[in-house]
Amino acid sequence: MPLSILLPLVVGGIAGIVILLHLLGLSRQLIIADEQTALAAWNDEFGNDAAISATTCHDGHAALISTASGGQGIVFSMGADTTARYLAGAQVARTPRGLRVDLPDFTAPHIYLTLEPVEAARWQPIIGEIA
Amino acid sequence: MTDQLAYPDVVNYAVPFFIAAILVELTWIVIKRRGGRYETRDALTSLLMGAGNVAAGIALGFVAYGFYVWLWDYSLFNLGTGWLVVALCFVLDDLRYYWYHRIAHRSRWVWAEHVNHHSSQHYNLSTALRQSWTGTFTGMWLLRAPLILLGFHPAMVIFVGGINLIYQFWIHTEAITRMPRWFEAVMNTPSHHRVHHGRNARYLDANYAGVFIIWDRMFGTFVPEYDGEKVDYGLVHNLGTFNPLRVAFHEWFAMFRDMARPGLSLRQRLAYALAPPGWSHDGSREMTEALKARHLSEYPEDRGTPGF
Repeated sequence: MPLSILLPLVVGGIAGIVILLHLLGLSRQLIIADEQTALAAWNDEFGNDAAISATTCHDGHAALISTASGGQGIVFSMGADTTARYLAGAQVARTPRGLRVDLPDFTAPHIYLTLEPVEAARWQPIIGEIA
Repeated sequence: MTDQLAYPDVVNYAVPFFIAAILVELTWIVIKRRGGRYETRDALTSLLMGAGNVAAGIALGFVAYGFYVWLWDYSLFNLGTGWLVVALCFVLDDLRYYWYHRIAHRSRWVWAEHVNHHSSQHYNLSTALRQSWTGTFTGMWLLRAPLILLGFHPAMVIFVGGINLIYQFWIHTEAITRMPRWFEAVMNTPSHHRVHHGRNARYLDANYAGVFIIWDRMFGTFVPEYDGEKVDYGLVHNLGTFNPLRVAFHEWFAMFRDMARPGLSLRQRLAYALAPPGWSHDGSREMTEALKARHLSEYPEDRGTPGF
């Protein structure tokens, strides 16, 4: 197939599908509704170091985790799903909407947290102490 | 004349079908409220990975094809271009695909390029297009050499490989539960391939088939979809990014970083590249066998069920 046909087809196809998905409301991020959901999400990723407590943020897009081995981690929304990372080596900085967590991890380099000011003030030293 | 043999570039011609099929599946899911999930950024990443795969093929395809054309001069036979020969080539190439795919899951060197196909937590037709950009670098295209030496023309080998890839598109769906029993026995199906994409301990490293599931049945890697445990899609440790560049290169990055760790022996450095994903010099990570063993220690009642 000539590139002059293939290229517009690919670009148009991708754009069309993505716009349609967004208009269908499929861009919504998963809400981590409660502590139990956060604990389950962590255990789903790190089953060999179970979560023992979780603190969810007000918009439900992230939760701080304490693990059985004494580790600290974070569970966060990845689109309609979640993933999790340990916070060892994390750097944290304030942003107008909350916090930015930088991790030494090529697969999760930055986590942007939308937090209430009071919440950000409480979370920053918890994450910052770990850095 | 065989030396000027040309077949259509079937994968590129299938692009309109891919787009239409995704729209049909999405419509089905929205109307029926079952049969799968879509998420915008996940699908965008998958589609961009697919576009990048096509671009990589255009840019780097000459490496493998140049080798095949060179090798063709040394082929033992010329089997011609009859349809029976094409059919035989298709079956043997699918066997080649099985072994490529099995190696891709059992050696980190090849897993580094294949991992991105498994990096979505969704399983829909867009996931099928989440293909590698770096396949050329693994050298796995060498696995087609025996076919060419046996007398299958390079253009034919590429053609049947394209048909194989197109076949595998439709099996990336949750909208189809099971096909008729005879079909499930012989062919790779959505049910069999859902198992392959599972991150559940039960489903790890199973069902490597491309078109014919008989290879898994023959070589002992077949695991049926178990009604008692829904497939959980994605990686053992899921990605925290939708960035296609990070999706494409993350395992290469991690592998070379591991190989460059200070204080390792040459054997350990090579093992970080060639051993199965999850291998580590100090045993601090878990491979498939350890993940399955841990699951059974927590759920001993699962012993003897599919995958264990």
